Amino acid sequence: MTTSAVEQEILLQIRNLNKNFGGLQAIDDVTMDLPAGVITTLVGPNGAGKTTLFNLITGHLIPSSGTVHWLGKPLKGVEPWQVARLGIARTFQDLRLYNQMTVEENIMTVMERGSWLWQAGRKAAEQRVTEILAETQLADKRHERAVDLAYAERKFLSLARIMASQAKLWLLDEPASGLDPRSFERFVTLLRDYAKRGITICIIEHNLDIVIQLSDRVAFLDQGKLLAQGSSEDILKDPHLAAIYFGERA
Amino acid sequence: MLFAQLFINGLQTGALYALIAAGFSLIFGMTRIFHAAHGATFTIAGYIFYECYSVLHINWIVAALAAAIAASLFGVLIDRVIYARIQKHEGSFFTVFVASFGMAIVVQNLIAMIFDRGAVTVSTPLSKSLEMLPGLYVAPIAAVVVLCALIFFMALQWLLTQTNLGIALRALGENPTLVEVYGLTPRLLSQYVFLIGSILVVPAAILTAATSGLNPAMGNHVMLISIAATIVGGVGSLRGAAMAGLILGMAENLCLAVIDPQWSEAVTFVILFLFILFRPGGVYGRAIVT
Amino acid sequence: MIAYLQNIAVLFCINAILALTLNFIMGYAGIFSLAHAIFFGVGAYATAYIAMHASDSLLLCMAASAAISAVLSMALALPALRVRGEYFVAASLGLQVIGVTIFSEWKSITGGLGGMIGIPRPKLLGYTFNDDTAFLALALVVLGIVVGITALLVRGSFGRSLMAIRDSESAAQTYGKHVNAIKTLSVAVAAGLAGVAGSLYAFYISFINVESFMLETSILLMAMVIIGGTGTLFGPIVGAALLMSLPAALTYLPFLPPTELGSIQQIIYGLAMVLLMLFRPGGLVGGRSKEKSA
Repeated sequence: MTTSAVEQEILLQIRNLNKNFGGLQAIDDVTMDLPAGVITTLVGPNGAGKTTLFNLITGHLIPSSGTVHWLGKPLKGVEPWQVARLGIARTFQDLRLYNQMTVEENIMTVMERGSWLWQAGRKAAEQRVTEILAETQLADKRHERAVDLAYAERKFLSLARIMASQAKLWLLDEPASGLDPRSFERFVTLLRDYAKRGITICIIEHNLDIVIQLSDRVAFLDQGKLLAQGSSEDILKDPHLAAIYFGERA
Repeated sequence: MLFAQLFINGLQTGALYALIAAGFSLIFGMTRIFHAAHGATFTIAGYIFYECYSVLHINWIVAALAAAIAASLFGVLIDRVIYARIQKHEGSFFTVFVASFGMAIVVQNLIAMIFDRGAVTVSTPLSKSLEMLPGLYVAPIAAVVVLCALIFFMALQWLLTQTNLGIALRALGENPTLVEVYGLTPRLLSQYVFLIGSILVVPAAILTAATSGLNPAMGNHVMLISIAATIVGGVGSLRGAAMAGLILGMAENLCLAVIDPQWSEAVTFVILFLFILFRPGGVYGRAIVT
Repeated sequence: MIAYLQNIAVLFCINAILALTLNFIMGYAGIFSLAHAIFFGVGAYATAYIAMHASDSLLLCMAASAAISAVLSMALALPALRVRGEYFVAASLGLQVIGVTIFSEWKSITGGLGGMIGIPRPKLLGYTFNDDTAFLALALVVLGIVVGITALLVRGSFGRSLMAIRDSESAAQTYGKHVNAIKTLSVAVAAGLAGVAGSLYAFYISFINVESFMLETSILLMAMVIIGGTGTLFGPIVGAALLMSLPAALTYLPFLPPTELGSIQQIIYGLAMVLLMLFRPGGLVGGRSKEKSA
């Protein structure tokens, strides 16, 4: 199915992660591994804590207890911008593109990591931008402002930014929602391509059809607890989980 | 005795600041609009009262009413004509702020042209200071100020907790979409917010006219206090803004015991800076970081 | 007549530099500062003090003015930028107010309310700019350099970082931008260059006092940027030219009472700001460009 088990390096390790807000336990003793080259999908009913889990990994939220290890080192008290430079990138459900900037600028600014007034390496950067635009089929929109793009194009631009970030871990929040079938096919191909290159990918997704087509592994989250993880077939065929997902519990 | 004098003055100033700040905080907390023209509302109310009472010699109740109508009209119209329109298109913080700011400049200069650039005062029978104790001069109007503030705050409290409108307004601040569930529109409620917020400055304006006097540029100082008190008290907390207004008024007066009067405005900002540095959420505020 | 035009031209250069630098942080970074006049003033007083007590070297004074303004701005920016934009407005307003008080009270350095008189013209490589035409040339060169620096920064990676932060600060952070460092740096650059403008001003007018650095000035600068157009390179220059010609234009209207011209001016640009925000938020040069999203 994917790379052999030997090559599945575990880059992200989550151990006994907890997060509570006042009285609300948003994440409850979650232990999870995200292997390289594998597309893991995070599913669960609304409010299960999926986005919260992402936020805990990227440093937008601080865990109440437990650890997140990235490339062997713990991510403790690391700011989001530092997490990004360590090789973890995410997308947002509402995309948060740089709307007034062009497609080219959106991608280029991700590659410009420093805070200096002047950074070198423009030629190489432009080359990489061209490559990414080709992969996402946005080449003819290079100088369009992000706000003027069509819906599917915006989704692909969001992906292009992550591709430009050279991140080794991609956390995608509902990246494929609303895509027409043809765009979706392209999307899956692109993701699988990058997974083959060893990128660790974790996706939050609600649409079960998408989940089936995209994932190698599925993790089921409910009320902050990780109820099950395994191959997509195992998880999605489980009637108990289906009941929870569709809200048939008291 | 100096201390007692400054304390009483501080109480008076603080009560006025509390009213002003509450008005701004109400508007900002519930509509997220940085109403930079709040100072202009204050100035309009003050000058209308002055014109009616001192110049045209109209009965003070009618004059006060005129001031209230002028202030609320101004506040509501700005919201309706300017803010609403901007928010329909893009409504970024910048655009709204600049438009608001522009209005404030226009009002300040119109008033400077119509009235005089200098200061004017309204003299009332209650303005005269009486020597209560040796070295302690208090005008009866100080008591009126504090009483007024208390009454208005109680009325506000009642409005926000006991009436449907008040509850809807609080919902607007927390969760605008919830408001629509109840069949109300955020737009309409926003106008109520501006109405109430603008009325709150009217007593403060009238009393300021009667105590320290008016000048066309005073809107700037009103904005300074409004912003500082809202931040120090905590964005979204009406009680916080009022308390902070009181504290700032007290601080501004009490510090006169040790420093020159020119620096008293600076004291407000030192307090503001300290809060921004160490406790940006303010005393009562919600978390503010994105 | 020539002298009059030369005078206007020099003042235009100075205002254009101020507008350009304010636009750098307002239009590109989305940071609203009501304290720009203070950095202008700090630069002016620094140059005045050094020129009168130590050296009238052009480069030394300008460098000192730029450095002092920049450092001061970082002291403001570092704490205030950690929190949301509205707080920076408040903090900058505070700085403007306190700054004016300090300018008025710190007699030993600023001359207090009386200001500083008798600032000499600067000297560069042995040449003293006593000639007004020569000074105009100097002002134009400095303006050109500031335009050049601004253009380079804005069109390069730093400009992209600023715009990313303006368009979506959370996304910028998520993709590795050290937002605070970048914002602070941009404020420092803007303040430093405003200090240079102050230096020019002190050298030219030879007399400065607090009246030039008050809230009215900060507001005027803001109006220049907004009316000319934020987020564009030439907008602020257009804005500066327009607002500077306003007083002169008004004198041609005979029905306006001369004592009220100042107020009328302010009313005009107050109205302009309101109307522009309603119909053309990008300013005269910028057009209908929409503002930021998330």
